[in-house]
Amino acid sequence: MKKKIGSALVVGAGISGIRSGLDLAEQGYQVTLIDKSPNLGGVLMQLDYQFPTDHCGMCRMLPLVERDASSQFCLRKGLFHENINIMFSTELVGLEGEPGKFQVTLRQRASMVDPTRCIGCGECSRVCPVDVPDEFNAGLTNRKAIYLPIPHNIPNTYVVDTASCTLCGECEKVCPTGAIDFGKDARGRFRILVVDDELVVRDSLKEWLEDEGFRVDMAESGEEALKRVASEDYNLMLLDIKMPGMDGVEVLKRSKDIRPEMPVVMMTAYATVETAVEAMKIGALDYLMKPFDPDTLVPLIVQLYQDIERAGEHQMEVGSVILAAGFDSYDPANGKNTYGYGTLPNVVTSVEFERILSGSGLFRGKLTRPSDGKEVKKIAWFQCVGSRDQQADADFCSSACCMFAIKEALLAKEKTNGQVDTTIFYMDMRTFGKDFQRYRDRAEKDHGVRFLRNRVHSVELAGEGGELKVVYADTQGERHEDVFDLVVLAAGQRPPSTTGALADTTGIELNQWGFCQTDPFLRSRSSREGIYVSGSFSGLRDISESVIQANSASLEASRLIHSKGGGLSEESVSETTFRDVSRETPEILVAICACGEALPSAADLDLLREGIQRQGSVKSVQVIDRICTQEGWNELEQMVKEHEVNRVLIASCMPYVYGPKLKDLGQAVGLHPRLMDVVDIRTRIFPGHNGDKKEVARDMGAVIAMGLGRLRGMDPMPVPQIRVIQKALVVGGGIAGMTAALAIADHGFEVSLVEKSEHLGGNLRKLHRTIEGVSPQELLEETIARVEKHPKIQVFKKARVIHSQGRVGRFLTTIEKEDGGSEILRHGVSVLATGAREAKAQSYEYGKSEAIVTQHELEQKMADGAVDPKNLRAVAMIQCVGSREEPRNYCSRVCCATSLKNALYFKEQNPALEVYIYYRDMMTYGFLESYYTQARKAGVIFIQYDSDRKPAVAVDDGKPKISAMDPILGRELTLEADLLVLATGMEPAENNELAELFGIEINQDGFFQEAEYKWRPVDSIKEGVFLAGIAHSPRSVAESIAMGHAAAQRSLRILSSEYIAAGQIVAEVRHSICSLCEKCVSACPYGARMLDEEEGKIIVDELMCQGCGSCAAVCPNSASVLRGYRDQQVFEVIDAALEVML
Amino acid sequence: MADFEPTIIAFVCNWCTYTAADLAGTSRLAYPPNVRMIRMMCTGMVDPKYVIKAFLEGADAVLISGCHPGDCHYINGNYKARRRVKLLKEILPRFGIDEKRLKLTWIGASEGVDFAETVKEMVAEIKALGPSNIKEQMVL
Repeated sequence: MKKKIGSALVVGAGISGIRSGLDLAEQGYQVTLIDKSPNLGGVLMQLDYQFPTDHCGMCRMLPLVERDASSQFCLRKGLFHENINIMFSTELVGLEGEPGKFQVTLRQRASMVDPTRCIGCGECSRVCPVDVPDEFNAGLTNRKAIYLPIPHNIPNTYVVDTASCTLCGECEKVCPTGAIDFGKDARGRFRILVVDDELVVRDSLKEWLEDEGFRVDMAESGEEALKRVASEDYNLMLLDIKMPGMDGVEVLKRSKDIRPEMPVVMMTAYATVETAVEAMKIGALDYLMKPFDPDTLVPLIVQLYQDIERAGEHQMEVGSVILAAGFDSYDPANGKNTYGYGTLPNVVTSVEFERILSGSGLFRGKLTRPSDGKEVKKIAWFQCVGSRDQQADADFCSSACCMFAIKEALLAKEKTNGQVDTTIFYMDMRTFGKDFQRYRDRAEKDHGVRFLRNRVHSVELAGEGGELKVVYADTQGERHEDVFDLVVLAAGQRPPSTTGALADTTGIELNQWGFCQTDPFLRSRSSREGIYVSGSFSGLRDISESVIQANSASLEASRLIHSKGGGLSEESVSETTFRDVSRETPEILVAICACGEALPSAADLDLLREGIQRQGSVKSVQVIDRICTQEGWNELEQMVKEHEVNRVLIASCMPYVYGPKLKDLGQAVGLHPRLMDVVDIRTRIFPGHNGDKKEVARDMGAVIAMGLGRLRGMDPMPVPQIRVIQKALVVGGGIAGMTAALAIADHGFEVSLVEKSEHLGGNLRKLHRTIEGVSPQELLEETIARVEKHPKIQVFKKARVIHSQGRVGRFLTTIEKEDGGSEILRHGVSVLATGAREAKAQSYEYGKSEAIVTQHELEQKMADGAVDPKNLRAVAMIQCVGSREEPRNYCSRVCCATSLKNALYFKEQNPALEVYIYYRDMMTYGFLESYYTQARKAGVIFIQYDSDRKPAVAVDDGKPKISAMDPILGRELTLEADLLVLATGMEPAENNELAELFGIEINQDGFFQEAEYKWRPVDSIKEGVFLAGIAHSPRSVAESIAMGHAAAQRSLRILSSEYIAAGQIVAEVRHSICSLCEKCVSACPYGARMLDEEEGKIIVDELMCQGCGSCAAVCPNSASVLRGYRDQQVFEVIDAALEVML
Repeated sequence: MADFEPTIIAFVCNWCTYTAADLAGTSRLAYPPNVRMIRMMCTGMVDPKYVIKAFLEGADAVLISGCHPGDCHYINGNYKARRRVKLLKEILPRFGIDEKRLKLTWIGASEGVDFAETVKEMVAEIKALGPSNIKEQMVL
């Protein structure tokens, strides 16, 4: 794996944090990825199914090139990458320095479980007497105080939740490896000074704390306390605020002069909480509220002790920091209308519903009513709970809930074979993303999901069994009732609870709702240079947008690190030279993990050892106790060296955990890691699996023999390396294309930018104002100037691509230039950003009156003064003209915001002007919602219509007359307007030709098709060709810029080294027996194979090949093979599996 | 046939079903030990000859299990497996192998329960079918 000079810190290990971290790691930077929780993946760990496949697919985020640097298994299980150091239970507590050279301080909470000793057996959890709600199942089940945060995660180290742990010490006693240590002995050395004027407080605190093993002294006044502080060495002072004479705050100030490093915790009654908060600003660590109750106070102090004594602080220098802090879910119980959440049975949040559906959840995948375990027949979803609600301080849309409600409804249908009845209560169905609208239509028409545009009034208990009566009003105010088994609240997104502290530490500004304040066009830039934001923390997003935003943040971070001198220079990595064993006969060491008494007590070890010894190529069989611990591992390393074998097979548990360890072992003993493997024998003897000891040994023997079968045939070869042309081609000179070109060129790589028109700037040239009230023209001019002056960018105007061939790393593209001549460009990656255009209006009497215009036309007319709001009396706007219905059945995403922008401008210029907006669903997602609110406050009239009942327009004396059904009045309304603006949306430019030239696909609407909507949103199906801007899907200026960054980021992972490696597991061709039938060429999903007609053979592009083995399975001659899975190996494994050997 | 314990060869994909099987194991879900798991990168690489080989060497049943449709790490490998299994089910009887002995399932990474259930069901089905005697019949 390549290593570059430079490093970054990523705060938050959810999807966007993982994406940003992987981006930088793939480029070669060293990344530290931290998360405050004890596990990876954020909220995605709880969600098994995602739109649009309604399944997972997270693993597609893993690296496609240099694959061996990273783990190659389910990402929900865990993540390893050579360049990423992952730290859990860790927070960023200090940040100093300047961009490019930040000194950061990380604090890792003490876990009390030694991860190098914990074997994940779970004995501790079984004896723990504490039961608290389990976060993994969203509080629907309970867990212990010592627990596995995510059951399927690795490493599977248990953690202690110090807040709920009672320190009974039971787990410490049963732990077979002594991994748990509460450190009670150390407490006697921890000295606490209690300062309070009330004797009863002092005495009781002293008693409670001494019971816990601490050493406690007392002082009854501030003066006495200071004397003691000056003469003795205390580890903690508990200090009362209100005391006669010198008060606590004064004592705090003076004690800080004497012993600045001593932690001080204030004790306060409710009345002086504000003083306590003030005290924290001048150096107090925390405060405790009186009156004290030993059951809550003691664990709090113990936790403080843990934090002070055992929390590890780590200091490091990083070039840049990415904040991917994510979001918290809104808790409906805290709202004004709780809809019975927390009080009525069977009212759950959407995340809780996901856990109800999940195979790893509380009902193991069966759709079950939580109150009584009965089958669910009827479910209601309530949208916008804690979103779009000013009473809940949320004048924003959470952006993702509409789609996940539809997804959940479809999953419920799938789980019940369509039997369950599903209703979604909503205000606007915000299906604004690519293909969202068709997904909704399918849910409604094909699967019978009921959509009701109604506000729910209340929920009450309807029966003994926990059925719920839902009372709601329709748009005309009429009251309805219906009974459901389950109510799912689409709880919105909130800023994470740690946001305030994070903002204080990093000095970034927050917006009015507590999310990160970003630049209006550059959403990954925070208010502080060098600190970038990723994912939902930068504004409410779904997965796909979070991934794009994460790419954008890592691009900005990389650009900064590069500008400060990192990035370009390759750090020398000493490549281990492994012993060449290709001419040796296989000699295998089999190491069996005894796992304490577990193995000897369950299996006949002698029989097992004997049987394995008889197997071919086995040089030695060793039983080692607990290979997973450091002692065990050292023993193994010793054995490998001693026996001088050329292959190692470990028989233990959890093969996953060993990936990075095998690499280390390989380095230590000079053996290629591919010559070592791990097989799982532990699962066989878990409780419930036991059998006769001989039988168990037989089963284990078979598993080991299968491992031997595969290992014998392993022939590691150097990983194929491909030389990359470190140049890029960007097609399209709009804002997305220019952004991508600049981002790549800023990293020092040459870029050719091809633009078909005579100007750079594309659609943005037509835009004079955004809804935020800023002009994009300044940004555009600046960008154009930078592009034209950039020494690494060559711009070809009035030019077009006429031919392209080649593959990732090596493209040859011919362009036709302005003068009619052609030029051949050599480049390693291609970015396609050819934009889109406003769709033509073909309805609503367009063309019959000058007063009927499209949004672009209005923008132009306002810019040249042809339309002046002061001269207008009434303006009407119709949304979704020709869009969100076949054939253009998609939302163009920007038209609602554009109409609001214009309406607000009209109202501002001429408050008497009447503005009517006819809409289907207002798509003001995210923070745009506040403009919708503003428009309603400003008196803009919104009239909702459905696609089967559109407004009718007639032209009378040159003036448009609009008639439509007003659902609120319940009658037809006709009005005359001076101006009618049609929101026609976007349609793609001619993408077909370009798609064909570059061998990629377009979707049914003519937009470029991405490889994977959620996890690889800017990759095309062909590696090396990336997509940006509105040629991919409609989006705003800021979103197009983010996508330009994302495409550049994906490009840089290929461009940033002269040579790039594929993976060990790639396909190859045995040309001597290949019949050139080309079956493999069509079977390859990555287009990595082709027939070289000149050479007369099939060639494999090793960089594009992902090692799926499809080619090998279709080859009639077995000429196509997958390394590591040769036929002979698989046959041996099958033989071993079926051989009765013991 | 009460004493008969079938041997099942399971070709599972590295991404989904292998994870599910691991989850079943680590969540202590009891399932019969009759299954021998062979981890492949993708169900799309399970060559028909592996399946036939397994039967000829004495497997009583073969299970192929991967990611759900649309979910394949390699885009469409599981669809290839689906087509291949359909064809195999037509061919197997010509070798004297009951097509019921070959099974294809989709088990996602978090569906440890489904994995355990699938194995349990399959063991019961094959027990009812009785042992495969193809190894004895075939004299190659």
